[in-house]
Amino acid sequence: MASSSGNDDDLTIPRAAINKMIKETLPNVRVANDARELVVNCCTEFIHLISSEANEICNKSEKKTISPEHVINALESLGFASYIAEVKDVLQECKTVALKRRKASSRLENLGIPEEELLRQQQELFAKARQQQAELAQQEWLQMQQAAQQAQLAAASASATQQAGSSQEEDEEDDV
Amino acid sequence: MSSNKVEENVSATQALSGRSTSLPMSRVKLIMKSSPDVSHINQDALFLTTKATELFVQHLAQYSFRKGCGKERNALGYSDLAKAAEEAEPFHFLTDILPKKILARDYLRSLEERTEDSD
Repeated sequence: MASSSGNDDDLTIPRAAINKMIKETLPNVRVANDARELVVNCCTEFIHLISSEANEICNKSEKKTISPEHVINALESLGFASYIAEVKDVLQECKTVALKRRKASSRLENLGIPEEELLRQQQELFAKARQQQAELAQQEWLQMQQAAQQAQLAAASASATQQAGSSQEEDEEDDV
Repeated sequence: MSSNKVEENVSATQALSGRSTSLPMSRVKLIMKSSPDVSHINQDALFLTTKATELFVQHLAQYSFRKGCGKERNALGYSDLAKAAEEAEPFHFLTDILPKKILARDYLRSLEERTEDSD
């Protein structure tokens, strides 16, 4: 959607959004193009009407920012009191949803445990893991050593047997 | 702040707070700010205004259709809306932008009548 930096007064609600709303409100009704165009302009007029009234109410209250209360009072004084209940409901609903969402995410993240405690537990786990690894390494080293020793012994006894065997042969020669 | 920046900021906040509206809040904000004197608008107030505008569209469309002549033909036309603006008090503010269209011949006739009177 290209937005030109043109006159602020040319601002209107996008036609497509209005068309969609009209379709949902009056399904199966043929709506003339000039009527649609008119609804778009009526929207702008309505927004100006509400903001001006709300702004006046805001100025009287000596606040600097237009609050929801100001808007609600504006709706009332302009004859749109019938809208108030519904918009209030939707606002409340959104707040409840947002609050639930925030609570849920913080619950997941913390499990109610403060951060320092979580850090401490993490350090503990790391230390334990390091120890286990060290023990494992030591075991492997011992096993290697034992294996080496045995290999040496085996080699030693093998050569001893060989020597014994060869001296026996010499004896036999003498007897002949 | 340029119009684009305002629209971006409002859209981002809207997405975060999970508030969905049929009409774009960012555009509503721009229109509100183009009113003279309007400076700061609270986010909730903007949301309320947007929702109220949506209700207005629905209200105007339904009322005009129900009371208008287009109903027989299952259609909604300019004259239906103009009629609603005249008849329903909350919609009176619209009469400025929706003058009832009159046929050229009726206008000419009324001109003639006026000149006849002054004679």
